[in-house]
Amino acid sequence: MKLSRRCFLSFVIGGAAGTALSPLPWKLTDDIAIWSQNWPWTPVPPDGAYSYTPSTCTLCPGHCAIQVRKVDNRAVKIEGRGEKGPAGGICPLGLSGLQLLYGPTRIQAPLQRVGDRGAGHWRTLTWAQAIDAVVTKLAEIRAKGTPQALAAIAPTDQGTVAQLLQRLLTAYGSPNFLRMPSADDSAEAALRLTTGTDAYTVADLDKTDFILSFGCALMDGYGAPVQTIRAVTRMRERKGTLVQIEPRLSNTAAKADTWLAAQPGSEADLALAMAHVIIGQGRFDARFAMDRIDGFDGFARMVRDKYAPRNVAQTTGIDAETITRTALAFADARRPVALHGRGKGEMPGSLKEALAVQILNALVGNIDQPGGMQIHPAANGYIQWPAVASDAVASAGMGAGRLDEAGGSRFPHVRHLMHRFIERIDQDPDAVQALLVAEANPCHNLPDSDKVKAALGKIPFVVSFSSFMDETAMQSDLILPSHLYLERYEDVPVTRGGAKPTIRLCRPVVAPLYKTQHPGDTILRIAKALPAPVAAAFPWRDYETCLRDTLAHRWSAMDSKGFWIEKPVAAAPVAAAAAVETTNHNGPEEGVPAAADAPAAPAAATAQARRLALLNDDLSAVLMADNATLSDEAGHPLTLVPFDSIRTASGYAGDPPFMVKIVEDTVLKEQDGCVEINPTTAAQAGLREGQGALLSTPVGQARVRIHLSEGIMPGLLALPRGMGHTAYDAYLSGKGVNINQLIGSVQDPASGLDAVWGIRAKLTKA
Amino acid sequence: MKQTQSQQRPKRYGMAIDLDKCTGCGSCMVACFAENNVSFKQDETNKLLSITWLRVYKITNGKPFPDTEVCYVPRPCQHCAGQHEGHSPCVSVCPATATDYSLYTGIVSQIYTRCFGCRYCMAACPYHARYFNWWDPIWPEGMERSLSPNVSPRMRGVVEKCSFCFHRYQLARDKAYLEGKRPIREEEYQTACTQACPSGAIVFGDLNDPAHEVYRIVQPDPDNHYKARNPRAFRLLERLGTNPKVYYLSSREWVRRAGDNYLENEAPGTIGAPRGAH
Amino acid sequence: MSSNDDPKTNGADSDAHLPSPSATTHTIPHILLFFILGMAASMILGWLIFPQLLYSQKNQPIDFNHRLHMELVDQGCQSCHFFREDGTFSGSPKLAQCISCHDQRLGLSENEKIFFEEYVAKDREVPWLVYARQPDCVFFSHAAHVEGARMDCVTCHGNTGTSESLRPYEENRLTGYSRDIWGRKISGLKVNSWDRMKMSDCAKCHAQYADIHDSSEQTRRDACFVCHK
Repeated sequence: MKLSRRCFLSFVIGGAAGTALSPLPWKLTDDIAIWSQNWPWTPVPPDGAYSYTPSTCTLCPGHCAIQVRKVDNRAVKIEGRGEKGPAGGICPLGLSGLQLLYGPTRIQAPLQRVGDRGAGHWRTLTWAQAIDAVVTKLAEIRAKGTPQALAAIAPTDQGTVAQLLQRLLTAYGSPNFLRMPSADDSAEAALRLTTGTDAYTVADLDKTDFILSFGCALMDGYGAPVQTIRAVTRMRERKGTLVQIEPRLSNTAAKADTWLAAQPGSEADLALAMAHVIIGQGRFDARFAMDRIDGFDGFARMVRDKYAPRNVAQTTGIDAETITRTALAFADARRPVALHGRGKGEMPGSLKEALAVQILNALVGNIDQPGGMQIHPAANGYIQWPAVASDAVASAGMGAGRLDEAGGSRFPHVRHLMHRFIERIDQDPDAVQALLVAEANPCHNLPDSDKVKAALGKIPFVVSFSSFMDETAMQSDLILPSHLYLERYEDVPVTRGGAKPTIRLCRPVVAPLYKTQHPGDTILRIAKALPAPVAAAFPWRDYETCLRDTLAHRWSAMDSKGFWIEKPVAAAPVAAAAAVETTNHNGPEEGVPAAADAPAAPAAATAQARRLALLNDDLSAVLMADNATLSDEAGHPLTLVPFDSIRTASGYAGDPPFMVKIVEDTVLKEQDGCVEINPTTAAQAGLREGQGALLSTPVGQARVRIHLSEGIMPGLLALPRGMGHTAYDAYLSGKGVNINQLIGSVQDPASGLDAVWGIRAKLTKA
Repeated sequence: MKQTQSQQRPKRYGMAIDLDKCTGCGSCMVACFAENNVSFKQDETNKLLSITWLRVYKITNGKPFPDTEVCYVPRPCQHCAGQHEGHSPCVSVCPATATDYSLYTGIVSQIYTRCFGCRYCMAACPYHARYFNWWDPIWPEGMERSLSPNVSPRMRGVVEKCSFCFHRYQLARDKAYLEGKRPIREEEYQTACTQACPSGAIVFGDLNDPAHEVYRIVQPDPDNHYKARNPRAFRLLERLGTNPKVYYLSSREWVRRAGDNYLENEAPGTIGAPRGAH
Repeated sequence: MSSNDDPKTNGADSDAHLPSPSATTHTIPHILLFFILGMAASMILGWLIFPQLLYSQKNQPIDFNHRLHMELVDQGCQSCHFFREDGTFSGSPKLAQCISCHDQRLGLSENEKIFFEEYVAKDREVPWLVYARQPDCVFFSHAAHVEGARMDCVTCHGNTGTSESLRPYEENRLTGYSRDIWGRKISGLKVNSWDRMKMSDCAKCHAQYADIHDSSEQTRRDACFVCHK
C-alpha cells in the first residue's frame, strides 16, 4: 500500500492530539524552564552541620581574634571575634582569608625549579627529597667553614616559628637572621636609647582622649587594624581629639578633628617643636620628669635653642601658632598619646622621628599610664629554650658579624637592616650562599624591589617557605610550602593592639588541603638532618611538641580560650634580657591559675627600666642629626609618596579577589594604577583626570593614570602600597604599579635604618 | 481571625549608618561578598558592572586643599516601603513577581530563579542598588569550596541585590521555632556588614521596636512616612518619597545636603514627608 | 488496499491515466485509523517512553530498611533525622551517627556487609540519594513545619518510615531534580499529599491559611523570601 498525503496528515494530527493529551509537552516545558534557571555549571554549595572554630588571624601583624564558620568540613566564612558576643569587627583582608586558603595560588607540594629563575617551571618533589635537597646544600656550606653564608628572612622575630628559624641559624653558625623592616625597628631602637632595654611600646588607645598621630594610618591598618579603628572611633565618641599629621587627606585625616598637612619628612622637627612649646610653657608633667627622666635639662636646652616653632614653620609648612596651639592641646589633654609609624608602620622611618615622638609621650608623663604609652619587655620572654651549644664552626660563623652590621659598632642601636643586607649581597655576591625566606615577600615589599630581586638572583640557593606563588617564591630554587594559618597551630604574640602583653593561639580550622607542612616542622626536619651540633639544639619530636613545651602552663588556657596575658614586668636591660623570665598572670578577669613559683623581675632591672633618658651622648647624636632627606635630582620637580590603604594588603599575602574588587576605580582602572595629584599641580603639567602619564623617579618608571584629588598637597604624588604584583594569579597580577619599583632606600644617618618616605619624581604625558 | 504572624506587630527591619564613624575601610563590602556568595571577575574596575550589594561611595565637599573633606557612604539596598507600605519602586514594576515586598519584615526580596532579566527594577531603583549578571559567575578552581549553602549562587541573566542577609533571619527563626516559637531577639538577626564593621558604624534592627538600638537612634515617625526625628539622621533622596529603611547619620551639613541632592538655596531638613503626603 | 485497485487494473492504457483525485479518496474510517495510530503512538511515547527517557535510575548505595530501624529506636523519625541545636535539620544521617550503633557489624545481611566494609571500615560517608531534595533556591525550614505548624513527617514524605527497602532514585536528566518533586505519576496528578512537591504544592498549603500567610505585597500570600534563599 502507498501512504498518501492525507494519511500522513491524519497521522500527524493524531500524533499532535495524542501528544497534547500526554504529559510530554507540559512536563518538558516545565523542565526546560527549570533547566534554564539552574545551569549545571552554577555551583550548588553543599549543606551540612554549622559550627564555629575560634582562631587568630596572622595575615598582618595585628593578630586579631577571628572565628571561622564551617559547614561540615568546609570553611565558609571568617568573622571577627569581639570582646562582647561572638561577632566583632574584622578587616577586609581577614574576611578574605578563605580565598587564600582555597585559592589557586596555593602551592600544593614541594617544588624545585627546573628552568631559569622566575620563569615559573617547576618539578614536584616529595617532602623527603625537598628536605634532603636543603640539607645537602646547607651541610656543604657548613663543611666549607662558612656557616655565616646562610641567611634567613622572616616576617617577624616573634613567636616560636621565627625563633626556631633564628635558632637554626645560631646553631648552624650564622648571625644573618633578618626580620622584614617595620616601624618596630625604629621604635625599638628609640627604646634602647632612652631606657636601655629591649622592649616594645603599645598605646593604650582604649583609654586615651587625645591622639597626636604622626602619619599613622589609624583607619587604614595601623597596629591591630580593627582594634585601632574601634578605639579611635570610641575615643571620638567620648569627645576625644584626633590630630593627624600627614600631607594627604587619608581616611585617618578625614576622621581627624585637626588635619595638619605637614611637609613629609619634617615630622621629627614638628614633634621637637611641640616639645619646645610644652617645655617652654611649663606644661610638661613635672612629677614624671622628676621621677623618671634623665637628661631633662639638656634636652630642654637643646629644643629651646634649635626647635622654636617659628624655626620649623618653614620646613614643616605649619605656622608657629598652629604648632603651639596643637602642642598645648596635647599637653593639656587628660590622657594624651603621640603615635609614631607612617602608614601601617611597614617602614622604619628615621630614628630621630621615633625618638621625638617618644619624648613627647614622656613629656606629658603618659608612659605606663592608662591611655598612654605602655612599655613592655620584648615579646619573646615566654620562649625559654636551653642555650645553643655551639661548636667551633658555629662560633667562628657567629663571630664573623652580621652582614648588615646591625648591632655592631657602626649601627649599635638597631637589630635588623634589611636594605644594607641587600646592598651587601649586591656588592659581594659570595657573601650569601643560601637564603631561607620564611613567609615573607621581600621581592615585592622592599623598596627598590628590582634591586632586591637582582640581589636574590646572585644567591646560588634560595629556599622559600611560602604558601603562595608570590614574587619571592618565583625567584627561589626550592619551595617548601607551609600550611596556611587556617591549617596550623602557632603562638602569636600580640604587640600592636591591646595594652596588655598578650599571646594568642592560631589553631587549625581545617585539615591541611595540600601536601604542605608546618614551617616549624620544616625547620625541625632540616635541623635534625644536619650534623650533630645543629641537630642537638632541637630536642623536640615535632613542632606541636615544641609549642606545647614552650607554652608550658599557658597551653591549656590558650587552647581553651585562645589567648594568654603575660604578667606585666619591667623590661630588662639590653645585655641581660635573656635572663629575665616572664611570670604567670593571675588577674581575675582571665581566670588563669596563678603559678606559685613565678619569679619576680630583678629589682635592679626594674628600677633601671623605669627611667627614661631624654638626652645623653647617644641621644644627642641622633636628635642633632639632620633629617634623612631625599636626594635632589634635577628634573624631578615632584615628590612621590606611598600611602597605605586597608583595601590593599601590603604584607606577605597579596590581595585576594574580594580585596581587589573593593579597590576604588580612582586607584586602579583596568590594569592601570592611578597616581593621586592635586588639580593645581596637574594643571601646571597639563594633565587631566584619567589621562595616561609616565611617572619617573631616579629608581624607575611606570605608566600610570592621573587621578585628581583636592585632598593631596600640591607638588606631591601618591600611590598605594601593595599593588603591581607580578606573581599570583590573573585576579591580582599586573594590576597597578608596585611603588617599591619606584622608590629606593634612604639610609637614616643616625641609625642606619631605612628612613625612606618618598622620592623625587616627574610626570610626563604618555 | 488573624493568628500568629499577623497578630504580632509587623517587623520593619532597617539600618542606621553613622557616617561620622564610617572610615571607608570596605569591610562591609567584603563581609557581604563572603556572606552572600557574591561573584567576582578578573577586572572589577568598571564599577557599573561590579556586583556589590553594598557599595561604599566616596563623596567630597569639593573645597580645595587643605579645606577638603571626604565622607564615605555605604549603600546597601534601601528596602523602600514606598508611599504606601510595599509600593517600592522596584517591586511595583517587576513583571515576573521575582521581587517582592514582605509586609511582615519590610524586606524587599529577589528570587533569582524567578527573574528573567528584563531589568525594569534596575531602571526603577533610584539608588543603583540592583545588579545584573551579564556573565555566569566563575570561581577559580577550588574556591567554590568557600561558598555558603545559605545563599543560592546566581546565574547569568538575573538581577541580584542586598537581602538584609535574610537567610540569617531564616536561620534565627528556625532556632526560635525549636525553642518554642519564641520571638527572634535583636542580636540573633544581624546583617553580615553590621557585624563586620570595625567602627560599629552600622546598626541594624527593627524600626518598629522601641527596644531596638536602631529605633532609639533613628526615632522614626510612623505618622510621617517614618521620617527620622533625630536631626542628625537623613535618608538618601528622601524627596522622591521612596521611604527607605536605611538611615544615615551625619553631623556635617554638607553631607546631609549631598544625601538628598539639595539645591543651592534649600535648607536641609526642609524636605520631610514625601510628595503627596501633605 | 482495495481503493487503489480500480485505476491500476482497468485497461491496458491505464498507465496513461493519472489517477483522479476522487478515485484515491480514502474512506473516513481509513483516515481515522491513521489519526488513531498517530495518537496512539504519541500517547505511548508521551506516557510510557518519555518518562523512561527523562529519568535516569540510580540505586541507593545500601538498601536501607526503615521499618527495621523504626522498631529499634524510641523517638521515631527524629531518632536519626533530628534537629540540631541551632534549629537546622540534620537530614540524612552521617556515618558518625550510624556508628553509635554500628560500631561493629550487626547481623549477616548483604546490606550490613556493604555498609560495614565500604563505609564504616573506610570511614567514608554513605552517599545517600535524597528523594525529597529541593533545588538550591529553596529554603525549606523543617523547624517551621514540624515545630511551628506541627505537621507530621508523613504529610510530605509519605510512608518512607515504614518501608522495608529503598526504591531506586530517579533523576531528571534535564533538570537534575529528583523525580519525587514532580511526582511519581508522570501525569502530575496527585492523590496523596506527599505525591508531589513542586512550588504550587507549597503555595497551595500556604494559601489555604491565608489569614496567617499574607505577607506578600505582590500576591497577598506568603512573601517569596519565606521559602526562597
